Amino acid sequence: MAYYRCPMCRKICPDHLDLARHYLGQTDKKHKDWLKTQGLSYAKLITDQITEFGNKGYQALADVLKKEAPEVKEI
Amino acid sequence: MKQQLNIVVNGEAYDLFIEPKTLLVQVIRDMLGLKGTHQACDSSSCAACTVVLDGKAVKSCSILALQANGKSVVTVEGLAQGTKLHPIQQAFIDNWAFQCGFCTSGQIMGAKALLDENPNPTREEIQEAMDGHLCRCTGFNMINEAIRDAAKRLQEQKAAESGRVA
Amino acid sequence: MMKEYSVIGKPTPNVDGPAKVTGEAAYTIDMTLPNMLYGKLLRSPYPHAKIISIDISKAEALPGVKAIITGKDTPGGRYGLWRRFRELSDQECLATTKVRYIGDPVAALAATTEEIAEKALDLIEVEYEPLPAVFDPIEAMKEDAPTVHDEFPSNINATRHIEWGDVDEAFAKADYVREDRYVLSPAHPTAMEVHNSLASFDKGTGRLTVWSSTQSPYFLQQGLADALKMREGDIRVIKPHVGGGYGGKNSTMPDSISAALLSMKTGRPVKVVFNRDEEFTATEHRTGQHMAIKIGLKKDGTIVALEIKALTNGGAFTALGATTLYLTGTFGTMPYKIPSYRYDGVRTYTNTVWGTSIRGFGAVPAKFITETQLDRAAHDLGIDPLDIRIKNAVEPGYEAPGQYTFESCAIKPCLEKMKERAKEKWPKLQKDEGIGYAAFAYMSGGIFNWIDTPYAYSSAHVKVNIDGTVDLYTQASDIGQGHNTVAAMICAEELGIGIKDIRLHLGDTAHTYTDLGAWGSRETLMNGNAIKDAAAQVKNKLIEIARLKLGENIAYDLVAKNHRVYLELRPERGLSYYDLVKDAIKANDGVPLTGVGHYTPHNKGMISPAYGMGVLAIKVKVDRETGHVDAKDVLVVHDCGQVINPLGARGQVEGSVHMGLGYGMCEEMPMDQGMVLNPEFVDYKILRTRDMPEIEIIDVPTYEPNGPFGAKEAAEATIAPTAPAFANAVYAAVGAEFYSNVLKPEKVLKAIREAEAKQKANSKAKK
Repeated sequence: MAYYRCPMCRKICPDHLDLARHYLGQTDKKHKDWLKTQGLSYAKLITDQITEFGNKGYQALADVLKKEAPEVKEI
Repeated sequence: MKQQLNIVVNGEAYDLFIEPKTLLVQVIRDMLGLKGTHQACDSSSCAACTVVLDGKAVKSCSILALQANGKSVVTVEGLAQGTKLHPIQQAFIDNWAFQCGFCTSGQIMGAKALLDENPNPTREEIQEAMDGHLCRCTGFNMINEAIRDAAKRLQEQKAAESGRVA
Repeated sequence: MMKEYSVIGKPTPNVDGPAKVTGEAAYTIDMTLPNMLYGKLLRSPYPHAKIISIDISKAEALPGVKAIITGKDTPGGRYGLWRRFRELSDQECLATTKVRYIGDPVAALAATTEEIAEKALDLIEVEYEPLPAVFDPIEAMKEDAPTVHDEFPSNINATRHIEWGDVDEAFAKADYVREDRYVLSPAHPTAMEVHNSLASFDKGTGRLTVWSSTQSPYFLQQGLADALKMREGDIRVIKPHVGGGYGGKNSTMPDSISAALLSMKTGRPVKVVFNRDEEFTATEHRTGQHMAIKIGLKKDGTIVALEIKALTNGGAFTALGATTLYLTGTFGTMPYKIPSYRYDGVRTYTNTVWGTSIRGFGAVPAKFITETQLDRAAHDLGIDPLDIRIKNAVEPGYEAPGQYTFESCAIKPCLEKMKERAKEKWPKLQKDEGIGYAAFAYMSGGIFNWIDTPYAYSSAHVKVNIDGTVDLYTQASDIGQGHNTVAAMICAEELGIGIKDIRLHLGDTAHTYTDLGAWGSRETLMNGNAIKDAAAQVKNKLIEIARLKLGENIAYDLVAKNHRVYLELRPERGLSYYDLVKDAIKANDGVPLTGVGHYTPHNKGMISPAYGMGVLAIKVKVDRETGHVDAKDVLVVHDCGQVINPLGARGQVEGSVHMGLGYGMCEEMPMDQGMVLNPEFVDYKILRTRDMPEIEIIDVPTYEPNGPFGAKEAAEATIAPTAPAFANAVYAAVGAEFYSNVLKPEKVLKAIREAEAKQKANSKAKK
């Protein structure tokens, strides 16, 4: 079973959507600043997540995390 | 220029010297220290400050004290006889007709004026007479029941008294 | 099988009754101290502005003015209720660099009379540099939006996500899916006693005493300690009688802080009293929200998926708004089995007066949207509104994954009883009459420690004197809901004595162990448990002595009741409570009997240890000409566990219905550019005695294992279903649909026309 580590802290999640959920729940500067380096805006992700049904904001971040979040083979 | 105010409050006569713009509620609360009469608004909307002035329920925040010159005021402090509660007060307790209690003095004095004039009001007559009183805790139904209960108690008291006299 | 008790369960008059009906009950607003000064606040006229300069010289020169302070004179402490996350302590004593809402205090002064204080305010000259302001949550999150707090770019104050099950797959497979969007209005708690505080600083000890119209002496003590950078233990908070709170008096507010600071500066007691305008414009309210809800059902009415999005206009500060955000997401699911659920809540800062934890918390907006949507879904599926609720109702032991569990849980029996009684009560309806239903569940106190307290959530200290009289010390708050009476009843029941034997010492932080205060319906369960625990410790000492003296077989159980301790199975064999107390004190080397009880919920999920629940029905008559809706009759069937005081419970249910009906009929706070447009009772309508229907309440008793004697929350819950039941009743009567909560006549007329047009279009389509 593969796990993925948050690029900005030690949190590990079983899938990228879950990791995106964790990520957008973090309110510190470090987490928010990294999003900018990926061409993402914290506010836009939250706005998308809250104004439409589904997980639009989380999914957009999850798609980026698929490339950026290191895989952890064993915990 | 201050003016003379002669007023009877709860059976006591007072000679006071006041600014003409002084409201009756200010005389009651600040000069006479009768804190039972409360104020809950600044727009004469809530009736928490209700007292009985020459038999009529009035909002003491909306009357200049000088308008009560030579008149008689009853506040909530004037109802109990020593340690014996007035039947309206007892009915309010027994019917859980208050919760925070802040509007209660006004409600009780409004009820007093109503029952003095109409000893046997219907639910509708109670609601009409008491419609000016705001309350945020009770939803009013238990107050109305207390007033109905008080009416009954007062009538029983009256009957007992006239029985004794006879 | 309900136990027979001596004290609890019996209608008991309010222990504060004589004081309240004679005008002797002292509220903070009635209190004076020798040498007292009167304090007033100077407030910002701008929603967002830099403070350039403040010139107090003219005001200082006015005879009678004793002290003036501005932001730079304050200790600089930041405070807030969400202390667990320090960045959410976003409030300051007085605005320092900028103001964030119309009404934000920039200066405070104390004078010998209120009149002089008010005159002096006009003499303070403030130079502001107005800044662009933001008033709407969507606008607040845009990249170029003005920032209310610099630490929160894009003004995102709090977010909350809850998800279980495979939501999108469940929607894809559902037979019926509908989406609805709502805009809910803000509303104000309008306590009859305005916010006010009296502070007295002791020059000798450096300690502060504050009397305040507060729901929680402990929260106020903490808030003042954080704001003033003092030790909590050097601050004593005393809660006199309180003229209502309803959630708006949990926060530390500028009245207490400025009274404290002015007292510390002048060395004299200072009293600060808000006027009603300040109460409406500058104290906490129930936030407005943009909400979206999507439901998926099978054609038999079984809910398969639910999704809620809630965007809250938080205002200038957090207070308990983050809690409301979370609870909107959890109460939205109750009391139904929801196999898949998604909730997103976002609270933004804006330049308006801020929202917090008003009566019913997040259950009020959540129930409005879920219960009105469910009725429309039921209608489309051809299912009776009560039947669809019965079908989906939870059962005892139900667990919402990772969130909450229901132990005592009689929602199904409540719904079934409602069906039976409603038919009996309202056998026939007239034209344009309708009955609406809404089901609900609500917490008995909260579990999440956002206040960051190290203490047990509630504690109580019982002391029994040689003559059998009892002193009960607890910090718990009666703010009108009747807790003083409940506290005495629980103590009396446990000890087997009467409430006349008990003297209450409540709401003084110097004399009591901590209790978190009166909010979220926590006092009966949490403080009740602590009191029962404390009393039980004393009772057990009496039982020990009785066991020794009676010398009966070890198998017999002893109970304390009616001032005796006796064998449960042989009641004639017992001893007098009074004699046992004397013996126990003698046996304890002359030390009075004491018990100290504590309660903190553990392993009870994320929300609450127990839930009150039920269903509310309301009958209305709609006037098609004027759009006016008459609320004619209300029926509540609820499970509140073991009712402690039936009189108090009824009073609270009726009060909840009053506020809930107001939320549905007439209470709103329109704002323009951050200005509250109706800051007086003339314009902010609350229901009056003639507007209120009769209310019938049926209890479905259960036993809640987590509560004292099986008790749990009773009645705050009822506020949440009232407005949706009202809207559902109008829907049932005339087919009108509502996507906002205040059903004013013009809105009802518009909705009726839309319903008629829709019906016409549907019948045309059928042809």
